[in-house]
Amino acid sequence: MDSLKSNVLAFDSSDLKELKQKLVDACHILDREGITDGYGHVSLRVPGTDAFLTIAGVSPGCATLERLVMLDLHGKFLGGQNAPPYEWPIHACILRARPDVMSVCHTHSKWSSLFSVLKGGLRPVHMYAKFLPANGPPIYPAAGLIGTVERGEALATALKDSAAVLMRAHGDAVVGASLEQAILRTVQLAFIGELAHMAVAHGEPLYMSEVEMATFSADQAFPARPWEYYLSRIRERRSS
Amino acid sequence: MAAIRTDVPKIDSSELKELTEKLITACHILDHEGVTDGYGHISVRVPGADAFITIANISPGCVTRDRLIMQDLDGNYLDGAKTPPNEWPIHSCILKARPEIVSVAHTHSKWSTIFSVLPIKLKPMHHYGKFLSADGPPIYEGIGLVRTVERGNELASALGNGPVVLMRAHGDAVVGESVEQVIERTTRLAMLGEWNHLALLHGEPRYLTAAELEVYNADQRFPMRGWEYYVSRLDGKR
Repeated sequence: MDSLKSNVLAFDSSDLKELKQKLVDACHILDREGITDGYGHVSLRVPGTDAFLTIAGVSPGCATLERLVMLDLHGKFLGGQNAPPYEWPIHACILRARPDVMSVCHTHSKWSSLFSVLKGGLRPVHMYAKFLPANGPPIYPAAGLIGTVERGEALATALKDSAAVLMRAHGDAVVGASLEQAILRTVQLAFIGELAHMAVAHGEPLYMSEVEMATFSADQAFPARPWEYYLSRIRERRSS
Repeated sequence: MAAIRTDVPKIDSSELKELTEKLITACHILDHEGVTDGYGHISVRVPGADAFITIANISPGCVTRDRLIMQDLDGNYLDGAKTPPNEWPIHSCILKARPEIVSVAHTHSKWSTIFSVLPIKLKPMHHYGKFLSADGPPIYEGIGLVRTVERGNELASALGNGPVVLMRAHGDAVVGESVEQVIERTTRLAMLGEWNHLALLHGEPRYLTAAELEVYNADQRFPMRGWEYYVSRLDGKR
């Protein structure tokens, strides 16, 4: 791992402005796409530092530039609203365990919650799921909000090197090498969950095999296109 | 218990302004979140008094300040609009039986109704259901609108000390220690009902056990965040 910047930017530094706006947009996208309700949060690592930004005790749908908080990877307050989300260890522990990850989304997505309590797992029935393993994302089984570092580390262990982990009777945590990727994956995970639910109602679907997923993964990816689309769907909110 | 006050404030008094505004907002939230239709009502106890305020024979989605009514816990008219909801005993009987309760919501929620007529219980399969017991809410089996004190008392008995009672082929009654809590519980009960319905199509889900619910109940709670969010969704409508 590269050596980290010793001087983390100040929370109100103009260098963070773009990242903050992107984080607020990401929160509004999850609300607009029907993934979050009063709860859930998105985090974004401050590039090259041991710090991350997230929302401060507010619904993603109500997030504003003023309602953000910056913490280090041990949960130390670095600036912003002094009201970190209760489950900040979700972000701190995953970002610490996964230097490749820039962004983490935690939601109570209906479809992740559903498959988190089913015995069959959420197996891919569409190429949108190519970021998942063929037998579906792992499930973190324990009860309790992730309010401690111990629980956060157990969650990061369950996630391991996957892109998503379902949290039993709770929701999910989804990671990405960029904020855009974490959002895209979160929205696609919900889409896949709904599709799998509908398909299973008809009997056993023709799930995608590992080889077939690899074929899709070998094709070119276009991460920027859906981000532009999602932004277009919150345009009204952004201009207000 | 503190002495019951006899100087019950008027429904349009400044003392009750915030509470009545909250009640109206709560009604609009249940409508906006798709829980109520033309029917259903929410009540709030007048602080310290043997009286409550509810909506006067109008859909929660259409309620305005001049459509509120105040009654005492025996159903006597005290103030406001003159037409009490048909089922006022739901509120008076539960508020009388449960002095710690501040607010009661009665809805015909689709998801409560479906589980009120199924042999399968609506059980917590998400921590949003942590206010319920592991074996799900009780069901009031009585047929007929709850428009008599006798039926109201039966409903209150079925509710017992719990937060929710499903009403067979009818809907639910949900109680809380604040209007915000009742709204959170009512909307979450509907979410849980939908999620139970989806899960059961796949077989028996891995419900939360009583011990697991206790773990969640030991965690910190954030009632206002959900309320703020629901209020934000009414913007433009209010």
